[in-house]
Amino acid sequence: MKILIVEDEQNLRENITTYLNSDGNVCESSADLGNAIEKLEDYAYDCVLLDLGLPDGEGFKVLNFLKEQRRDEAVLIISAKNGLEDKIKGLNTGADDYLIKPFHLAELKARIEAVFRRKAANSNNNLVFNEITINLQGRTVEINGNPIILTRKEYDMLLYFIANKGKVISKNAIATHLWGDEMDMNDNFYFLYTHIKNLRKKMLDADCTDYLKSIYGIGYKFLSE
Amino acid sequence: MKLSAHYNRSNIIITVSVLLVGAVIYYFAINYIIQRQLDRDLTEEMEEIVSYIGSRHKFPVQLDIDQEDVSFNETNQSNFKTVYFNAPFRKSIKKDSDDDNNGRAVETLVHVNGKSYLMTIVISRESTEYLVQVIATITLILMVGLFLVLLLTNRYVSHDLWKPFFYLLQQLKAFSVSDHTNFSYSKTNVDEFNELEAAVLLMSSRVRKDYRTLKQFTENASHEMMTPLSVITSKLDILIQDDSLNPEHYKQLQDIYGATNKLSRLNQSLLLLVKIENNLIGETELLELDQLVLEKSEQFQELITSKHITVTTAIAQKTVTASGQLLDILFNNLFSNAIRHNIDSGVINISLTDEGFLIQNTGSLHPLNEEELFERFLKGKNSEGAGLGLAIVKSICNVYNWEVSYSFISSLHTFQILFAPGKV
Repeated sequence: MKILIVEDEQNLRENITTYLNSDGNVCESSADLGNAIEKLEDYAYDCVLLDLGLPDGEGFKVLNFLKEQRRDEAVLIISAKNGLEDKIKGLNTGADDYLIKPFHLAELKARIEAVFRRKAANSNNNLVFNEITINLQGRTVEINGNPIILTRKEYDMLLYFIANKGKVISKNAIATHLWGDEMDMNDNFYFLYTHIKNLRKKMLDADCTDYLKSIYGIGYKFLSE
Repeated sequence: MKLSAHYNRSNIIITVSVLLVGAVIYYFAINYIIQRQLDRDLTEEMEEIVSYIGSRHKFPVQLDIDQEDVSFNETNQSNFKTVYFNAPFRKSIKKDSDDDNNGRAVETLVHVNGKSYLMTIVISRESTEYLVQVIATITLILMVGLFLVLLLTNRYVSHDLWKPFFYLLQQLKAFSVSDHTNFSYSKTNVDEFNELEAAVLLMSSRVRKDYRTLKQFTENASHEMMTPLSVITSKLDILIQDDSLNPEHYKQLQDIYGATNKLSRLNQSLLLLVKIENNLIGETELLELDQLVLEKSEQFQELITSKHITVTTAIAQKTVTASGQLLDILFNNLFSNAIRHNIDSGVINISLTDEGFLIQNTGSLHPLNEEELFERFLKGKNSEGAGLGLAIVKSICNVYNWEVSYSFISSLHTFQILFAPGKV
């Protein structure tokens, strides 16, 4: 996947690049609006990560530019502004998703994949990973051709893990993904253990490889092989 | 005691005492003038008689119709200074008068045919006394009249006079720094009130400006913190990919994750509070509160089950016009508090009626301090939150003029929201 990162904070830009690149993606970055539009004029990307507060203006200009040029880049806004108005404005101007800072890189990766899948509009709406086949439209999972029944949270978790395969994901990141901001799960990872235990058991019962590895004290890793 | 009453009291005391002193001075002054007039009359009379005696060498004939009483007494005094004094007037019109001093007399030495006589002339003072009485009565009537007029003026005129003051006071009582309503002028022509109004207006705009600046600062500070926070989070996300880390490192990293998470939540809560107080929360819509409450209990089902909490609900249909986003936050905070501070196998009671929403939970056996409960950054000893949850609840309730209160009823921590406080 070819991704353009438009973000003025250098540290963040580099981290995102590092995290996304390791999965075979190609990332380019711009620190400001002018540079971003120049790059977009010259090249096509699969996905654009767009910060709204840029030194030379609001990121909405990039959205307008893409809209005028009838481009089909998927756009994911990353913003420090947690306002409903900005979110609605962004989504109405052509953004595909809106992620509020601070976010976990795993969350960003999962969102990018989801946005990209939606945009790519595969006639084949299946996500295949080794013996696991996920029907994204029907939200069903098959392992070795045998359907397994997952709860909504287990299904979400599986997609999340596959999007971040080969990466260590912190418990905080998973909890935030599953329960969102409204429930502060920080002091209690008990539910997370339960859900992961159940998911793993269901997958193992269907003769799936044991991809889920617990990384002591910090989180989990979904093996990529 | 009201200022007007204070003012009235001193006003009346001063007026009455001035009037009284004035009346006394007046009385003595008139008395003195009249006495001098009488004495002049007496002197005239005396001179007349002396010249009569000087020319005729005999006593004048006593005439009854004369309003004077002249008597001569033989004396061997050769030297006598003329004196004036009050004396009884025997020819008084009022025969029954027992006043011994109803006359004015003069006594002087006259010589008739080589003999010395002490001549005493007495004239009536009754008419002049009558004059004094009339003057005193008029003064008294004036005094009472003035007193009454003062009283009435103070009561009715001062009420009107103070109107702008009370108008201003009323507005001051309703003043709130976060409010945007401005003071309205009462268009008075009293300089002091105009000055006061101008000062209040200046003060309120200054206070509001300071408050706005402070809020702006909070907002900006929180916003600016979001980017470094995302840098920390993403650095951590990258760092944990390192295979060479050992469990001890992971433990440290997990703690950093926890602290970062808490910090970003705190930031978000602060931003939310500022936004609520700035009335920046989006559009309101007609919401079915009963549905919302049911959704919430569904959403928190996992947590509820894990703590083996028994939930009883009594939910009636109720619709409100509010922002869905805010109500979501409101119920999230109330529900998560009720669960978080609950005991294992505890109880949660939820009730929704037309009047209000009520959530009760078991927990600590001691009631919480109701006064401090809704303050910012106040939290229980075992709380992991930032202490902003209930402050946010209160802020949201304030937006819709709902009233949120806490009570400890039969060992249950009870939070109640009244949708129309005052009517119940």
